[in-house]
Amino acid sequence: MADSALNLRQNLRHYFGLYLTREAVMLALLAGLAVALFTGVTGLSRLYDAQQQSLGNRWFGRGVTDLSERRFDRAVVEFRAALVYAPDDYTYQLNLAEALIGLKQTGQAYAYLINLWDERPDDGLVNMELARIAAQRGQTDQALRYYHNAIYASWSDNASETQAGGQSGFSGNDTTSAERGERRDARLELIEFLLRTGATMKAQSELLALSENVGDDAEQARVGDLYVRAQDYEHALAAYRASLKLNRGNAASLAGAGLAAFELGRYDLAQQYLQAEVDGNPGDTQSADRLKTAELVLRMDPFRSGIPAAERDRAVMEDFAVAGERLKSCGAGGGSGSMTDLSTSWTKINPQITLPVLRKNPDMATEAMNIVFNIERQASAACGTPAGSDLALLLIAKLHEGN
Amino acid sequence: MDREQSEAGTMEAAPGQPAVAPSTSPATAVSSSGGESPLAQSSLAQSPLGSFFGPLGNSPAAMLRSVLREERLFLILSVFIGIFSGLAVVCFRFAIGWCRIYLLGSGTVLTPVRLVLAPTLAGLAIAVIVIHVFPLARGSGVNQTKAALFIYNGEIPLRTAVGKFITAALAIGSGHSLGPEDPSLQIGASLASALGRRMRLSRDRMRLIAPVGAAAGLAAAFNAPISAVLFVIEEVIGRWTAGILGSVVLSAVSSVVVMRWFLGSESMFRIPPVQLERPSELIAYSILGVVGGLASVVFSSGIAVLRPRFKAMPQWTQYFQPAVAGLLIGIIAVLGAPQVMGAGYEYIDQAMHGQFTWQFLALLAGLKIVATLLSFVSGTPGGMFAPTLFIGAMLGAAVGGAEHWLLPHLTVSPGTYALVGMGVLFAGFLRAPMTSVFMVLEVSGNYSIILPVIIANTIAYVISRGLQPIAIFDLLTRQDGLELPSMEEQREEGVLHVEDAMRPVKDPVLDAGDSVGRALQQVSKSDADEFLVRMNPTGWNSVKKEQLAALIAEGKGEVALGSVLPIRLIPHAHPDHPLETALRYVDRWPLVPVVSRADFRKLEGVVSQRDVLERYREFGEG
Repeated sequence: MADSALNLRQNLRHYFGLYLTREAVMLALLAGLAVALFTGVTGLSRLYDAQQQSLGNRWFGRGVTDLSERRFDRAVVEFRAALVYAPDDYTYQLNLAEALIGLKQTGQAYAYLINLWDERPDDGLVNMELARIAAQRGQTDQALRYYHNAIYASWSDNASETQAGGQSGFSGNDTTSAERGERRDARLELIEFLLRTGATMKAQSELLALSENVGDDAEQARVGDLYVRAQDYEHALAAYRASLKLNRGNAASLAGAGLAAFELGRYDLAQQYLQAEVDGNPGDTQSADRLKTAELVLRMDPFRSGIPAAERDRAVMEDFAVAGERLKSCGAGGGSGSMTDLSTSWTKINPQITLPVLRKNPDMATEAMNIVFNIERQASAACGTPAGSDLALLLIAKLHEGN
Repeated sequence: MDREQSEAGTMEAAPGQPAVAPSTSPATAVSSSGGESPLAQSSLAQSPLGSFFGPLGNSPAAMLRSVLREERLFLILSVFIGIFSGLAVVCFRFAIGWCRIYLLGSGTVLTPVRLVLAPTLAGLAIAVIVIHVFPLARGSGVNQTKAALFIYNGEIPLRTAVGKFITAALAIGSGHSLGPEDPSLQIGASLASALGRRMRLSRDRMRLIAPVGAAAGLAAAFNAPISAVLFVIEEVIGRWTAGILGSVVLSAVSSVVVMRWFLGSESMFRIPPVQLERPSELIAYSILGVVGGLASVVFSSGIAVLRPRFKAMPQWTQYFQPAVAGLLIGIIAVLGAPQVMGAGYEYIDQAMHGQFTWQFLALLAGLKIVATLLSFVSGTPGGMFAPTLFIGAMLGAAVGGAEHWLLPHLTVSPGTYALVGMGVLFAGFLRAPMTSVFMVLEVSGNYSIILPVIIANTIAYVISRGLQPIAIFDLLTRQDGLELPSMEEQREEGVLHVEDAMRPVKDPVLDAGDSVGRALQQVSKSDADEFLVRMNPTGWNSVKKEQLAALIAEGKGEVALGSVLPIRLIPHAHPDHPLETALRYVDRWPLVPVVSRADFRKLEGVVSQRDVLERYREFGEG
């Protein structure tokens, strides 16, 4: 028994000795030490991370408060402090960029925004800010690119939630009205930019897209205004009418519709809208002047449809007299040769512009009005934009051009 | 029981008992005679994995011993070194962060009182600790690691790592203008050295283990394994061999993995998109190279002049030098440049994002040089890598801004210029040209910047080398009274080859197929005593004139020469071999043939011991 125990001990010692070399033991110990140290450092790391996060949040919170109260300089300092503790935090960087924009430090803001764009090219706010900076710098192509990105981008308030929700990438699916609103605003801003840069055709295309997605009467009115600026009076009138359907008393829409109809030469319609506007808003002198002009046009146009012959003749006589006065005032300033010729023509035909002659010879009215129109056009070119009756005659001339 | 006894496979006999033979149980059979055991015949033993561990025919014990052969053990140790160094660097970063928060405050706008008091009081504390407790913690750490490699057989006391950790964390966290990378390098080297001593590595391996740890520490600190490996090989070890490269890479990768586990894989600073817009911009970057080269010279000259003066001051001033340095740095910060405090990475980030005007950037670059000089020459433990990057970034962005101001049509991205600037200072000041290029690429992750980086770095390096012949690490070494090999000089040293020493063959060359008589005829007119013999099919031999005469006297005149010569052939060399290759042979063979690589029978020349020594003598004199 003792012998077998001894043998066993000797065997064990022999075999352990073979396998448990010094190096093997050391390596095993090292592995154990590595695991132990790893665990220890993990605990330390958690403490450190917690502190960093807490400090970052604290500074970020202060920055958000200052940003909302437009204290941009303080907000910048606080966001920078927050970034010390979380250098790659998207939200911190975005807010810092916003604060820098508030301080008009667009160069620095751009550097942060472009980093953010690299990380999330579908972020609506980042694209908008980049578009604004590009617009400021006159980089039209870049601005267009970023504005379009912004229109189709993701506008979730919490960018990280957007990522978690799997709504990454450009989305045509508007999930919230807030997002729709943001996209609409982005498109509006784009249109403003296009109009400022004189790209009216592009602006009109964007307006068409915008029109499909417009909300209340105020927004419709704004669309109408933009159409006017884009010189698309047809669509402007349609927009204003749509606005008035929602709110008949919308003053801006009334005035706008009146203007659009006026520009389109639909003076009767213009008169209706402008009258309604002036009645409700007597202080709107522009609409009042326009109304007056429209009324003059309607009264002085001898070629409007359905006009009785007597009324037509009376209008011709009045128009001829007004043109004669215009001739005198413009010609007195040393008019050109054409004005002299017109004056001769006017003087020659003047004796025949009487009610009996006009009644007897309807063609005389056309001839007379041709002279009137020529006088007004030449006078406008030579002596400046007319006013009052002369302006009305000029507009009537444009209305019947080619007829 | 030691290894030899265990390998014998015999059992010690108990007192009074006969020796017993080993058990022949299949499960535990240990072969001492080399016969195959069942375990050795197992599928594991026969597998490719089994063949990796060397020729088996033995037990798992033999397999284990094969694994633990020193070169393999070294590789395994490299991984552990990387892990421990990575953990140490992570803790070091935490320590710096905590020191900064508690000494300077958590915001970016700091109170003047703290700005002045923190580095001053910390400087006092550091001085006391360094002088009385951890004297080897002084300095950056790079030279100390080199000294360990070349002078102290790889020995760095573990205490050094502890001291460096504490003092450098305190220094950097309190605002001294120093960086964490060099201390991380030394901490890694010290840990590696301690590990190597525990494992009782051979002297050769002990010398190499410190750089392995250094690479691990630096890689974790920089979060850039390639740059760390290159730097250690370029500046510390000075040579490339497969063995050391493997260990260095393993340790660097392990430490970076550990570091990224805890601190994430993001870069130290956010790099804005960088790209080269037009080739003509290269001219602008060349100007940056010139400016950076000059700045490097100013920086290193400052150290060259000030450090010996500070060291030569009375001993009692050593207690106050770091404090005075801290005070002056604090004053600079209060006067409007708090950016010069600490490592400054967050300000590099801001410079890359165009936060500062170019005038302020230039001012910051200058003030950082001053602040770093103050901290470093006062003996405060800490590194120069981070300040170098800071100065380079500020200078780069300043040069870019100035160029844009002068030439408004020039499109300038401050981030690009800052990035190139970092590489420029790295090349010009630290004189690590290859590392500087890869460092920029690794940090930016952008290959399009490589052309401006190479051009600017090269210009800076050449200017720095021309105006300041001694590199900064060599300078520090000499100031410390040590003679360490200069890696820069080694790189530029010419290497002698065999062709530099060989001489044309003037004496007859015999052929093995010739008869002895004919051979003697050929050599009779020559004054030489020994002649080369071209053997068949290949190889060379030699024969003396007297040997030929003796063979003829023996009546072997008609016998083929090759059949009577000794079988052992003399070694040959090639013209492009390093001359030291020939040294191995010329003492034993009077004539060593130098043959063509394409045809070993084609003799290019011969070389003798005298030729080799003569050439070395000329080289030494030249």
